Amino acid sequence: MKTYRIILVENDEDEQFFMREAFEASGRFEVLAQASNGDELVTWLREHPGQLPDLILSDLNMPGMNGMELLHALRADARYAALPVVITSTSSTQSIIDRALAAGASWYRVKPETFISYGPFAETLYQELQARLAVG
Amino acid sequence: MNPSHLLQHMPEAVLQLDADGFIGYANPMATTLTGYPPQELLNGSRVLLYAGPEDSIRAEYEFGIAARTGQYTSEGWRLRKDGSRFWGELLISALRNDDGSTSAFTVLLRDTSARKEAEVELRKSEERFRIMVEGVSEYGIFLLDTTGHILTWNDGAARIKGYSPSEIIGKHFSTFYTTEDLQDGKPAREIRIAAETGKYEEEGWRVRKNGSVFWANIVITALLNEQNKLVGFSKVTRDLTDRRFNEETLRQSEERYRSLVEQVIDYGIFLMDEKGRIVSWNEGARRISGYGPDEIIGKYFSIFYPEEDLLNGKPAHELKVARAEGKYEEEGWRLRKDGSRFWASVLITAVFNNDGTLIGFSKVTRDLTERKESERALRDSFERYRRLAEELKLTNRELVEANGELEQFTSIVSHDLQEPIRSIKGFLQLIEMKLTEGATADLGTYIRKSIGAADRMRELIQNLLQYAQLGKSELAPQPVDLNALLNESLQNLREVIERSKAQITIENEVDSVPGDRVQLGQLIQNLLSNALKFTETEFPKIRIRIRRAGDEAHFSVSDNGIGISQGDLLKVFEIFRRLHTNKPYPGTGIGLAICKKIVDRHGGRIWPESEPGKGTTFHFTLNEAIQEKILTP
Repeated sequence: MKTYRIILVENDEDEQFFMREAFEASGRFEVLAQASNGDELVTWLREHPGQLPDLILSDLNMPGMNGMELLHALRADARYAALPVVITSTSSTQSIIDRALAAGASWYRVKPETFISYGPFAETLYQELQARLAVG
Repeated sequence: MNPSHLLQHMPEAVLQLDADGFIGYANPMATTLTGYPPQELLNGSRVLLYAGPEDSIRAEYEFGIAARTGQYTSEGWRLRKDGSRFWGELLISALRNDDGSTSAFTVLLRDTSARKEAEVELRKSEERFRIMVEGVSEYGIFLLDTTGHILTWNDGAARIKGYSPSEIIGKHFSTFYTTEDLQDGKPAREIRIAAETGKYEEEGWRVRKNGSVFWANIVITALLNEQNKLVGFSKVTRDLTDRRFNEETLRQSEERYRSLVEQVIDYGIFLMDEKGRIVSWNEGARRISGYGPDEIIGKYFSIFYPEEDLLNGKPAHELKVARAEGKYEEEGWRLRKDGSRFWASVLITAVFNNDGTLIGFSKVTRDLTERKESERALRDSFERYRRLAEELKLTNRELVEANGELEQFTSIVSHDLQEPIRSIKGFLQLIEMKLTEGATADLGTYIRKSIGAADRMRELIQNLLQYAQLGKSELAPQPVDLNALLNESLQNLREVIERSKAQITIENEVDSVPGDRVQLGQLIQNLLSNALKFTETEFPKIRIRIRRAGDEAHFSVSDNGIGISQGDLLKVFEIFRRLHTNKPYPGTGIGLAICKKIVDRHGGRIWPESEPGKGTTFHFTLNEAIQEKILTP
């Protein structure tokens, strides 16, 4: 079974912790790196030129470079323009989802109700990823 | 009385002559008439009744006719015995024998000198008159009989009408009339009027021989004899064509002009004398001003001017300008008859005669009220729409702002307020799981984290309420003592300042500014806290400066902190926007958003200047927009 290399971008330490636990426990993902905002992600990518992730999962609302700015920064850079970026947020507001997609999000996932429920979230994301990449 | 006595007393000479012409009898009147005594008359020759012996040939001729025809009347000069002559009428009657031969002559001799003289005089006078009449070439003068047939024809008539006397005498005078006049029965009417009233006079078209018409002045005079019986008419005709042509042209041109002017309804056109009295009035003037010609002619044109113009002597001034420069032109208020005003376009033109003397003025007035009003209505409506558009723009901006704030609020509720709840719920679920498993090791940590999240939530909610409160009510600016305000702010932050060992300097050259005291205090405290928070050095140095810049105060708060990168300068005022992760720089990201809102509310601007690593200066001004608002409400 194929595992996908993923980078998690999330400012909340607790959330970060539970996300990582769930993604690794799923056996579907390899957590390549963790960043607390877009600035840290960009820095990591710059510092690890040979290690592109298969997927970036990013929160929207973060201090410093937030999810929207992260999308703008990656889509403006040829090296990362095609990189799948999934935006996740507590908001299910359509206008916010639309804005994220318009900014270049590959797709948008509402965060699970509590951060202890990231297991099923990781599983669903995997299924979607497979379907999309198979098509793509 | 016997017949002999009768003959003796006859007032006329009666004589009897024998067949050979010798006088056999003569009454006393014959002696009286001829001067010959009876003894010379008796047996005297008939030549005594003529003009001398050499007239015997005529006597023989006349008596011969009388002998043949029975009677002969001779008129002619007779010679008296004394040699004087008289005009005598001699009536010769022949008396016949049974065989028809002449037996004798009776002669009646009558002195008709007086009548003859009158006749001669008349003939002379008539002759002179005839010559005169015939010689007149300017007038056609001719006589008509009672039915209107032409009896005489002079040179003038020939010249004017083109007929020679032989062509026209005997013809009816209606020959000279146009077809229309003939159909109208005009010739008959004219002579009837002349017969009844003695005279008919007119000017009218008449026809020449060649068919062309001429404008004639004619006088037909009835000719009555001593018994007042109509014996005919004289007719005098004058050709007025030239005069007529000039007059007609002038009249037509004047008529055309006059009717043109009179019928113009959109313009008031009238003439004034040199003093400004109205002498003519057209329909347009009536419609515009409401005065009829009868009311206005003779009045001074100043009647149209409002009182202030009269006090300023405007009417006289206008005439003066028109006189000096030829015309005067303006737009202004004028009065109608009913006292209402109208906006008039006025042109006064000086009118001079051929000698260059001013004889008056023409004035053309147009009522522009309607045009002006529609212009004003257009302008008003344009202004109304512009105002409406402005209001719409403003409303739109407010809506966009409100919409932006609503979206901000949506974002805040869905992220910032959601996150602590997720944390709390997550930890509670964890605690539940751990309790189920019977594990208690990490429970304290989870509970602390939950409390932390709840605290963050409360802080967010309080800040949000504070922020929302700022926009709630209208700002009521009061003079705010800045020195007192600064002291108060420093006092409020005293604990933080002392803990950070910050060095704060104040340079203030402004005593007070208009504003909301509470909000301005909050503004300064937020900026100070911000400066204190983002200072990594051991000794934060903060400088507050307030300088006068024109009418406004310019505030600045500088620190020697970490600074803000160029790309982030504009983000600092976004609500709940944090440029840094929580750990080193805790906060909700609302402080500068509140500052921005307060400055906005005070009609000012706020902007940061920064060099990363060296420090940041926040500048702000107050009341720029408010002052503008006060100046142009």
